[in-house]
Amino acid sequence: MPIHEKSLIRPENLEVHEHLEIEGVDVSGHWSTFIESRVVSDYNEALEDEIAALPGGEHIHRCWQCGSCTNSCTVNELNPDFNPRYWIYLIRMGMESELLRDKDIIWQCVSCHKCTHVCPRDVVPEGVMKATSHWLELKGHTPKSHSMIFDEVFSEQVFATGKIEDGRVIKRFFKRTGQALHQPWMVEMVKGMLRNLPLGLLTRMGLATLVAPKTRGWGDARAAIEEYVEEQEAYRRKALGLDDLVQAAQREI
Amino acid sequence: MSDKQTKTSKQKYAEVAYYPGCALEGSGHAYNRSTKALGKALGLKLKEVDNWNCCGAMEVKNIDPKLQTYLSSRVMSIAANKMNMDVVMAPCNGCYHNLKRAEWDLENEDKSKEVVGQLSQKAGHETYQAGQVETIHALDWIKDAIGEEGLKERVKNSLKDVKIANYYGCMYTRPRHIFPEKDAGPGTESTSKPHFMDDLLAAAGAENVDFPLKTACCGGAHTLSDSDTSTRLVANILQTAEAAGAEVIATECPTCHSGLEMHQIRAAKTLGIKTHVKIIYFTQLLGMALGLKPRAVGLQENVSDSFAFVKEKGLT
Repeated sequence: MPIHEKSLIRPENLEVHEHLEIEGVDVSGHWSTFIESRVVSDYNEALEDEIAALPGGEHIHRCWQCGSCTNSCTVNELNPDFNPRYWIYLIRMGMESELLRDKDIIWQCVSCHKCTHVCPRDVVPEGVMKATSHWLELKGHTPKSHSMIFDEVFSEQVFATGKIEDGRVIKRFFKRTGQALHQPWMVEMVKGMLRNLPLGLLTRMGLATLVAPKTRGWGDARAAIEEYVEEQEAYRRKALGLDDLVQAAQREI
Repeated sequence: MSDKQTKTSKQKYAEVAYYPGCALEGSGHAYNRSTKALGKALGLKLKEVDNWNCCGAMEVKNIDPKLQTYLSSRVMSIAANKMNMDVVMAPCNGCYHNLKRAEWDLENEDKSKEVVGQLSQKAGHETYQAGQVETIHALDWIKDAIGEEGLKERVKNSLKDVKIANYYGCMYTRPRHIFPEKDAGPGTESTSKPHFMDDLLAAAGAENVDFPLKTACCGGAHTLSDSDTSTRLVANILQTAEAAGAEVIATECPTCHSGLEMHQIRAAKTLGIKTHVKIIYFTQLLGMALGLKPRAVGLQENVSDSFAFVKEKGLT
């Protein structure tokens, strides 16, 4: 199957004139379609380095643009605009504004690892997708995606107690994303569970939601992880120049 | 080390460190129950990893892969250094994948090794060294410790007439570089066309259908954060299994399993796509084939209802 590529010519840049004559030459109609010239003047030369500084993006420089990632991609099959090869190209070229056109779908990578599996250059495209969605959020181009919020809710619980309890993660996720827990399909699912479960087990599951499972003696691990997370966050803020941005904004105020 | 070299995998896997992971204590409890019941029925010993923690899962990996490596390394460190075990068996595809990823990371990335060393020291436990344990999946465990012939001898209720689509998901085979033992010649698992589950269920008498989506993605990563995408991916898997003639989709991962169950309901509600294929863990199917009662393998803990089906097939 050929790889679908988004046309580099945007529809708004195409011009057709019903009646137009230039220097005595008739250039009317479809056969004389004009393409408005496109000048990229807002390169972000640091873009590749910024992505490479975020977890998962480390190996972006290895890419040869073979397109195996896009060709194998699960999400690309559902939405042809989801194009990891193209985004890696844009990042390496520093074409930030072009990348931002797709900012609202990049987080949709489902981490099926098909791209990493086939990549001949060990770019880890899946990691680059994660790094890119982090970058979009850190730079304020997009709000936190539901995926990121889920990762945070999940990780917070792991860092705090060593383990997660899935019912609790689900509840907190719905709360933090402002969604009602009582979705029609969720009610249907719970009904399915109630049909067969003995009362004792239900009570135990209910208790697990109230009393979080814990790894014993986790305190030192928790402190070590939190210290590491803080260091890494400071490093990333610096790599993306976020502190400078904030200072510049403060000076303006 | 000499132990590892002289023991065959049959002996090595007869007693393994068991790492259930978080999902198997919650939504995937049926997989936990059926794995333990199956081990008991086959005379295999499971020693649960003492005071284990989360493997880090995809969620922590997304925040920082090195932290996921550390979390997984702690589990392997306990198995190796505290329990003196040389094999860790993880039935959950996510845990299995993450322990394998951590192993690869520690062997190949100096920076990760350094971070894991520092965190382990501060957390007050021995640092895991690459190669101390071998991580295997529940499929490897049954396949190597018992084998097809061994299973055939023990089958009480044959799975004959049960048409199965074997669904392996993403994490069991991808990416290939973290599974050096796969694609390693005859008898080893294939990353493009995995067959261990097919082999085991066929040995128990099942009829495996030709299912092209064995390693397709169910969208498990975004099952709640991008439900519409997951529902479309799952609906495709369910419909393809039915088109291939399957009555059951056999699963080997709690995230895939609950994803299939949840989005089977959701596909009917939101897309009007109704499917009737049953979703059952391979450990539940093998357990029932060995004569265990449906309740003993936790069929009541599945969200989807398969009781009438297994009764009709004479598995009770």
